[in-house]
Amino acid sequence: MTVDPRSSVATAGTEPGGAVGERWTRVDARAKVRGELHHAADEALRPCLDVVVARSTRPHALIESVDAAAAKAVDGVVDVVTGADLHALLGDAIFTGPAFADQPCLAVGKVRYVGEPVAAVIARGQAAARAGAEEVAVGYRELDPVHDVDAAVLGAPFVHDVLRPSIVFGDLAHLRDKRDTNVNYEYTLRHGEPAEPPPGSVTVSHEFWCPPTHHVPIELPFTAAWRIGDRLEILSATQTPSYVRQSVADLLGIPLGSVRVRSAPLGGSFGAKMYDRLEPLAAALAWTRNTAVRLAVTREEAFLLTTRHGCAVTGSMTADADGNIVAADSDVRYDTGAYADVGPRITAKSGMVASGPYRIAQAHVRSRCVYTNKPSAGPFRGFGVPQVTWSHESLVDELARARGEDPAAFRRRNLLREGDVSVVGTPMHSADFVGCLDAVTDALDWDSPLHRPTGRYRRGRGVAVGIKAVLTPTISNAVLQLNQDASATLMISTVDMGQGSDTIMAQIAAEPLGLPEGSVRVVTADTDVTPYDTITAGSRSTYHTGNAVRRAAEAMRDKLVDIAAARFGVPATDVKLTGDGLVSTQTQESASIPELLHGHFGARGTTLTSEAEFRTTWQPYDKETGRSPQVTEHWFAGAAAAQLTVDTMTGRVHVEHLAIAGDVGRAINPAMVEQQLTGAAIMGVGHALFDQIVFDEGQIVNGTLLDYQLPSIHDVPDKVTPIIVENPHRTGPFGAKGVGETTIIPLAPAIANAVRDAIGIRLTRLPLTSERILDALAAQEEQS
Amino acid sequence: MTPIDLVVNGERRSVTVGDDDLLLDVLRGLGHTSVREGCGVGACGACTVLADGHSVSSCLARAVRYDGVALTTADGLPAADDVVEEFVAARAMQCGYCIPGFVLMGHELLAENPDAGAAEIDAHLEGNICRCGTYLEIRTALENAARRRREATRTEKEPA
Repeated sequence: MTVDPRSSVATAGTEPGGAVGERWTRVDARAKVRGELHHAADEALRPCLDVVVARSTRPHALIESVDAAAAKAVDGVVDVVTGADLHALLGDAIFTGPAFADQPCLAVGKVRYVGEPVAAVIARGQAAARAGAEEVAVGYRELDPVHDVDAAVLGAPFVHDVLRPSIVFGDLAHLRDKRDTNVNYEYTLRHGEPAEPPPGSVTVSHEFWCPPTHHVPIELPFTAAWRIGDRLEILSATQTPSYVRQSVADLLGIPLGSVRVRSAPLGGSFGAKMYDRLEPLAAALAWTRNTAVRLAVTREEAFLLTTRHGCAVTGSMTADADGNIVAADSDVRYDTGAYADVGPRITAKSGMVASGPYRIAQAHVRSRCVYTNKPSAGPFRGFGVPQVTWSHESLVDELARARGEDPAAFRRRNLLREGDVSVVGTPMHSADFVGCLDAVTDALDWDSPLHRPTGRYRRGRGVAVGIKAVLTPTISNAVLQLNQDASATLMISTVDMGQGSDTIMAQIAAEPLGLPEGSVRVVTADTDVTPYDTITAGSRSTYHTGNAVRRAAEAMRDKLVDIAAARFGVPATDVKLTGDGLVSTQTQESASIPELLHGHFGARGTTLTSEAEFRTTWQPYDKETGRSPQVTEHWFAGAAAAQLTVDTMTGRVHVEHLAIAGDVGRAINPAMVEQQLTGAAIMGVGHALFDQIVFDEGQIVNGTLLDYQLPSIHDVPDKVTPIIVENPHRTGPFGAKGVGETTIIPLAPAIANAVRDAIGIRLTRLPLTSERILDALAAQEEQS
Repeated sequence: MTPIDLVVNGERRSVTVGDDDLLLDVLRGLGHTSVREGCGVGACGACTVLADGHSVSSCLARAVRYDGVALTTADGLPAADDVVEEFVAARAMQCGYCIPGFVLMGHELLAENPDAGAAEIDAHLEGNICRCGTYLEIRTALENAARRRREATRTEKEPA
């Protein structure tokens, strides 16, 4: 379905424009290229003491003693603070987290992973703090650790004695004080009645594994905090300034108005810099020591702050004789490490799409979030959905092959259409899976014969689709200030981390007012100035913040019309805003915005302010069936198709052509949408082929960029085709939805399906390293 | 502690440094925050500076060894720098954190080989990581910058 994007939007008929749908240059393009844009660590700060933490060397142990004498003797060290010290001052408030209040900023009594902060060394200068941290001597009594997610599911040892739901996500309260389990959350989906497979049906089943990975935004985590009287100010590289403000107010027991959180343009994040990272420790130290502190961590330490969930899926799928998918079953285990972070949310939101974007008569999903003695896993671009997509898109492919059918044609028959109700109970709108599938297969000329050499290099093609729900329910606010000279200042708490939100929001604000490129300045999130916004995550900002911005701009337009009507002495209905200003259709009298505001206030340099909020609601899923008629505000639809060769001598995969598509509702800035589609896909190439955290007994062994492989320019496919699919969302700002995660979701299975096509081997464990491929080829040869 | 003169973007700056002080930290301390730490082990390229025109990972370089050496940082490039212009035109940035390093690598490459094409560009940039995945735009920017230089050279050579 394709609808004219301009026909279905709430603001149809407004005169101005010239902003939405245009390829505006990023507002900070030149500053970024010259390196003049200031990230958090680039800002000039008041003098700060440096903080470096001493970290646990044990995966699971009781802390018997902390001897800080040698550390305190290091020249420049001012103080050494332990978890027990902070607990004595702040009580259980030092346990924070969005789902469970389970993570102390410094370990209290017990450590649960190698690398957990045990003591904070405060010093004059980073070098002294680091030298001091080396000298902290901790006495441990070791406990049995559990590292493997499937071992942890079975029972003892337990990472936590009891579950402690946080006050942030209110719906987990029923889990309070649950004991003797590592499973901190379980989501179940039951759709349709289980039945015997009909005659002639085909079932495929496999065990799948996605390893833990790391976000590795190149900007390192950074937080500084200082106390001014009864206020605490924080400057932090965070996606979630509003969350941090509340979290820190709760931690210190002070009013929201006493906490100021400033973010800064982020040097990438991908989920790494959100919720509670360095902020609780910085806040606790600055507040209790009445000082200014700075936490700047190394890359090795950044690997310990958060990770992407490793995930095991046991999946099966059945098609009837006519090629309709009639049943799907998934048992999903997310390894959330020692602290739950948003693991429970990931478990539910991914569990509900574990069967994929298909019409399925009967579906069952059991999705569990499991503690282990490893660094905590949290949100990562895709929010757990790439892990379940790895399962359902591999299964669907095998099912098509088992039927002797083209995998694209099989998907096309079974994909959800506009208005279809998914297995979770919520209808589809503005999520054109078929359009995305067709776009990427057309780009690869899917129906033409593929040249398939039979020698060392084997060629194959693969495709995959993906579905994800937008984060719901959430809240955005916008305050727009129109300056007397017709420039504008927009106050929002969305954080630009490379996705380009400052530019997108400037375009949305400009559209109803007819403002030109470069005229809207977006203020960097500062909780003293910019209004509440739930978070910058989950591809929610274009829709949610965008709607708040659109409403604020429309309110501004209405104010201008009222002022002009008074000036012209005509009814407001006779005033129009045009590119040249405000005009009376009756008298033809006109005034530019500068003239109008100058006349209204009688002064130059004045400002006119408007504001708006935007909220989405949901209906919580049923605890028994996991279903809801409105589990999300909307869905993201994406697809990827790959053509590649496999070198059977080296096991190396070479991607010749990668096509990716996402239904974005409407592209506010097509150039930046294409960059997000492509950027997420290149990150996905890494996840498919080599990107993984390697653990040994719970310890990260490749936590440096010498050892951790990331996609370089050599890993970019020979050809990349990003395709924008537009099915306007009925309540999106000008029809728009988000895009940041859409193409990472189907990427790894698209590549694995192409490898399957090339060498006839189904690989079920990511990443598809040369070693795995060579081993599989050797096994294949043995069997033949 | 050793007093040295760093010549940064043509300006002489007298500083006193310890033997272990990193060029990265000293340059940032002088306000050149376009020079950024990404890995601390010379594996990502975010801290790249040019020393006498040659790329250096400043996170591994001891400042004391750069006494009197001409250093270039991205923030010190001329206002109308051809590589910067082509990066802006090609939209070769997302978060932008790594981009100054790519710009300086591009300068080094084009000074050595103004005929560089995609293969040479890729080979020269293999040590720089753009986690946002903006490599295609970066390659385009440098191809265009190379073309611009070749055209400028040809114009110079043509008789008046």
